[in-house]
Amino acid sequence: MSSAAAQHLPRKESRELLGHEGAVLAVRFNRDGNYCLSCGKDRTLRLWNPHTGALVKTYKSHAREVRDVHSSSDNAKLVSCGADRQIFYWDVSTGRVIRKFRGHNSEVNSVKFNEYNAVVVSAGYDRTVRAFDCRSQSSDPIQTIDTFQDSVMSVILTKTEIIAGSVDGTVRTFDIRMGRETVDNLGHPVNCISLSNDSNCLLANCLDSTVRLLDKTTGEMLQEYKGHACKVSLNIILVFFEDVLGVANASFKMDCCLTNDDAYVVGGSENGYIFFWELVDAPVVASFRAHSSVVTSISYHPTKACMLTSSVDGSVRVWN
Amino acid sequence: MGADSDEEDFVVYGTPIEREEDTSARKRRAIAEAGQLRALPAWKQEVRDEEGRRRFHGAFTGGFSAGFYNSVGSKEGWTPQTFTSSRKNRAELKKQSIYSFLDEEDIKDMGGNALETSQQYDTFGFTAAEYARKQASKEQKERPSAIPGPIPDELVIPTTNSIGVKLLMKMGWRQGRSIKDSHADSLYESRRNARKAFLALSDVKNDKDQDQIDSDKPSLDQSVVGSFDEMRASGSTPVHVLHPKQDLHGLGYDPFKHAPEFRDRKRLQKSRERDHKRNDVSGRGNLLISNSGHYAPGFGIGALEELDVEDEDIYASGFAYEQTEVDIEPSKTSDGNYKLDDRKRGIFLSFKIASNSEYKLERFPSPEIPVDFDGRHKFPTPAQPAEKVSDLAPPEVPPPEDSTLRLLIEGCAAMVARCGKHIEDFYKEKSKTNPQFHFLSGGDGCSYYMRKLWEHQLRYTGQPRPVDLKSKPSSDKLTAENRGRILGERPLDISTKPQNSLSAKEAVQLQSNLIDTFVKPITLDALPESEKPFRNDPAKQARFEQFLKDKYQGGLRTANVAPVSTMSEADRARERLDFEAAAEAIEKGKEKDIKPSSVLPLPGLNDQRFISATQLESSIVPQDERPIYPRREQFEWRPAPILCKRFDIVDPFMGKPMPVQRPRSKIENLIFMTESTMGTKDKEESSSRSSHDASSVAGITEAEAQGTTNDPDVKLSSVQRPVDLYKAIFSDDSDDDTDEIVNHQPVDPVKTSEGANMALNRLAAEDFLESLGKEFGLEVPPERPNVLFRSETLSVAVASVSSQNEKVATTYMEVKENQSSRGMVEVGNANEDAPLANTGKLDLKYEKRERITEENSSRPLHQQNQNHSPDSDSSSERHRSRKRRSHHRTRSRTPESDSSTERRSSRRRKSHSRHRRARSRTPDADSPSDTQHEERKRKEKRRNRAYTPDADSSGHEYKERNKSSSRRSSDKDRSRKHSRHHKHRRKDHAEYS
Repeated sequence: MSSAAAQHLPRKESRELLGHEGAVLAVRFNRDGNYCLSCGKDRTLRLWNPHTGALVKTYKSHAREVRDVHSSSDNAKLVSCGADRQIFYWDVSTGRVIRKFRGHNSEVNSVKFNEYNAVVVSAGYDRTVRAFDCRSQSSDPIQTIDTFQDSVMSVILTKTEIIAGSVDGTVRTFDIRMGRETVDNLGHPVNCISLSNDSNCLLANCLDSTVRLLDKTTGEMLQEYKGHACKVSLNIILVFFEDVLGVANASFKMDCCLTNDDAYVVGGSENGYIFFWELVDAPVVASFRAHSSVVTSISYHPTKACMLTSSVDGSVRVWN
Repeated sequence: MGADSDEEDFVVYGTPIEREEDTSARKRRAIAEAGQLRALPAWKQEVRDEEGRRRFHGAFTGGFSAGFYNSVGSKEGWTPQTFTSSRKNRAELKKQSIYSFLDEEDIKDMGGNALETSQQYDTFGFTAAEYARKQASKEQKERPSAIPGPIPDELVIPTTNSIGVKLLMKMGWRQGRSIKDSHADSLYESRRNARKAFLALSDVKNDKDQDQIDSDKPSLDQSVVGSFDEMRASGSTPVHVLHPKQDLHGLGYDPFKHAPEFRDRKRLQKSRERDHKRNDVSGRGNLLISNSGHYAPGFGIGALEELDVEDEDIYASGFAYEQTEVDIEPSKTSDGNYKLDDRKRGIFLSFKIASNSEYKLERFPSPEIPVDFDGRHKFPTPAQPAEKVSDLAPPEVPPPEDSTLRLLIEGCAAMVARCGKHIEDFYKEKSKTNPQFHFLSGGDGCSYYMRKLWEHQLRYTGQPRPVDLKSKPSSDKLTAENRGRILGERPLDISTKPQNSLSAKEAVQLQSNLIDTFVKPITLDALPESEKPFRNDPAKQARFEQFLKDKYQGGLRTANVAPVSTMSEADRARERLDFEAAAEAIEKGKEKDIKPSSVLPLPGLNDQRFISATQLESSIVPQDERPIYPRREQFEWRPAPILCKRFDIVDPFMGKPMPVQRPRSKIENLIFMTESTMGTKDKEESSSRSSHDASSVAGITEAEAQGTTNDPDVKLSSVQRPVDLYKAIFSDDSDDDTDEIVNHQPVDPVKTSEGANMALNRLAAEDFLESLGKEFGLEVPPERPNVLFRSETLSVAVASVSSQNEKVATTYMEVKENQSSRGMVEVGNANEDAPLANTGKLDLKYEKRERITEENSSRPLHQQNQNHSPDSDSSSERHRSRKRRSHHRTRSRTPESDSSTERRSSRRRKSHSRHRRARSRTPDADSPSDTQHEERKRKEKRRNRAYTPDADSSGHEYKERNKSSSRRSSDKDRSRKHSRHHKHRRKDHAEYS
């Protein structure tokens, strides 16, 4: 807590990116950390320069809320998904939709490019993970993984693996090279997963208000991080019903991530707090109130001590 | 009324002003588009009318596109003819003239000239001739003539040559010649030679008769030849004027009528006079033509001449001429001699036919066909393998030390001995790259293979020849190998190592195939007391140990348990499930033995732990104790090839035959386990009994007497198993039989190819070779009983299967009786139903049999369906879907179709189209639509409704099927449904009866 590294944690708000109307559901740095993307319930994607606070571009085509966005490694393409069951494949500069990938039967929760930007992998409420081919003209998935028992909340890709966390309490790793599916049953619905920067550990934010750190190769649980509030189950369903029923008090998928040096675990809380845990021993190093409402997404700068948070209150904040 | 009157009161003066935008919008748009139209390519342009509409011609007259760019009906296009019915005005058939195809412009261009055909383009000259004739007659009329009436001039037709004839003439053709190449035809040459020969013959005759012609034989010869040439040249075109009248005889008078030879003489003299001027075309004057007796064309016959038969045709000279030639030609070539003998004897007045001519066509009699000639060639096939046994015993060779190889060689030799040489070739070709089969092509163990093959051949043919039968005549094929063997040569060692010819891909494939086929051997012999999961039931524990021994001693999964007669099939299946789980748990425990501190107490190693199937998948959270999280499981997962490509990863399943689906529940495992058990069951018993030859033969006949019904099953079980193995060995890429591979299970990939060797030990090699032969349609002759005991096992298997069926049937009846009794208790007036049930029993048994056969025949389909069943997540899901299916089946039966035949047929349909059925399920079918005809049925129905109609109607069907197949019987929840199904079964009886 008093270590020198802890002093460098991004706790100071440097900027607020305002523009979204309604909740911001995800905020993501691009690969090199110079830009960031946010998306939210106002059905738009926004490309920002978080370091100057400039809104670079707004992408509108989604018919309903946008839940996740990811930019390709060459910054040329975007992919986004949302409650309209489609995955939009954007051209960054023109702002046009190159393709819409169809196939999910209900809301799509998470979407990612692969290493070579050739495949888009998405996870949806329809209990499937689907892979789409960016290089072909087809809008149909090239593979559908349907072994999940419940809604798949989050998906991440490595060079050879597809890792997805589901509400059924499992984190499933699909190793393409080995042709093997590894199921890590955590016993609690997994809200969000993220990978350590050395790709050896897996961070899973479970709905029992616990962030769990797993060894990716053995499946052992290395550490548990508690203290924040992330208790809501079926949050995405409520988001869905909110539109129908007008429920204002719905909750959201909440991110967790590791800092760029893998020294700390960052997690958001329902009450607007951000928590920092020390990786090894799991004490809360720091926590502060970042937003007035639920912190939906956290994105850590790939190299610098800089962090983005987004919240239901409609703001995206830059911390460093 | 009031409204009407209001409208009537409304008066309008003047004409309403048309709104500008309404009317002219289209027009304006049309104008605007006209500019654009020009920019468009021609095929996209559309003709529109003034209003800018596309012209529509009606569906039957062109639609939107008629004519050139839809120009029909427009100013530019032509107007389509209107349809008029020809029914009334039939007579008014319109004649088309050239003018109906010309528009005004064309006619104007013609300048008033009528069209007519030009004789210049009259290729054949007919119209030209006609025209000329007309012209002539016209001139005739104009010209004053001395002789009134028909004039000879009229008869003479001025010939006009057609343009074609003119062209030909210019090219050098002359009248009367054929158009074809003069010397192209070699047939003519041969004919000519024949004629020459014939002439020479006639010359001989002439000599003999001291005729005067002999003096100028050469000239005769020449002239004849010349005339032949002429004739040949004029082959195809009629020549009209051939004989100009040059003598002073009367018309038609022939001085040489009865002396044709003088005619020749005269003609020859004349021709000599003319200095061999050719073209005395009097072909008919010569020897050959005179045969026909047609003479020069004339107008009549002399008054004093008799009218011969030959004189009939005198007027049709040209035609006859042709005919003559046609007549002569064949006679010259083939059998001129005979013909002359027959017909023309009297014509040669001064000649006699030689009694023996030197010129003779040599004739040979047709070859005699032996009586037993078949017309078909027979190859030496396995039907006569005895011929193939080489009489030379290969030297005794010690078997190779590798026992695997030895087994393989022996099996292969037995197989080859049984099936013939071709199967060896087949293996050789198939396994070129496989080092294990190098003995076939002379590699390792070749000599041993030779020896074994010879032994097997001897044994198979059943002719115990003396080993040293070396004095066989050498008419046998003495191949290089044989000779070498006689001389005691050692075959050259083929040093070509396997040369690592297995490519990377093949290696991957081989490994992965093997992985799925073999299980890891574990030694579970001395189980510690703490690991006996069935301690409280010693019999069960014994069975469990037996199970472990059978199942996990490595090699192929045989999974045959000694049958316990007291147990039903379902019980056995359930027990097997327990055993599997227990064995797994024990294995896990063994692994953990390494670090004893972490040994789990193996929480539920008792019967309670393994609850029945519906909860298997959801057993993630058992109630009693908290499981330890995170738990890790591993499954096989097959990425799509394109996904691998996009991730830039080599497809781990490349070349592997089929997408392997992870079994969703243990039931699937169980199902095919029992399947493979069906056929192979009792194998050990049978092998022990193998000494009883007679009984086994009887077994065969009995099994056959059982009917062919059981056959498919047995074949299935014997063929199915080793497919993976030989795939692995032969590493063939053709994946045409993918559906046969059922046994894929998630097994650790770390296993090496040692498994293959183990399996080869276990598996009787010839067994799979035979199945291989069957697989490829090669003829495998039935085994002799005293050679190998394979057939016995087969027959016993058949018998066991049939006995099983009977057993199932009997258990079925038992259950049914139970049901009926319970039904009596439950239902108040069950007395009425009891006799019914009794009568139904026999029928039911019969029905049962039949169903077994049907199930057998449609089994592969079942399997497939089960393994490829769509995305049902859990076993319960599958159950549900099955229920739906069967439910629908019940629905689809019409109320009248309660006869058993109808049922059977519907069942057959079902087995063929299960998928479709599952799809076409009607969503809310509520009650099993049974008949309302008979009272008792209505009663049954009423009873039906006491239960939830959906679940149990389907369940009853479902169970029926299960029972009959005796392989679904493993479903656990089925037993729970027993009580429910009683009613329906009885109802079923009613239907059957």
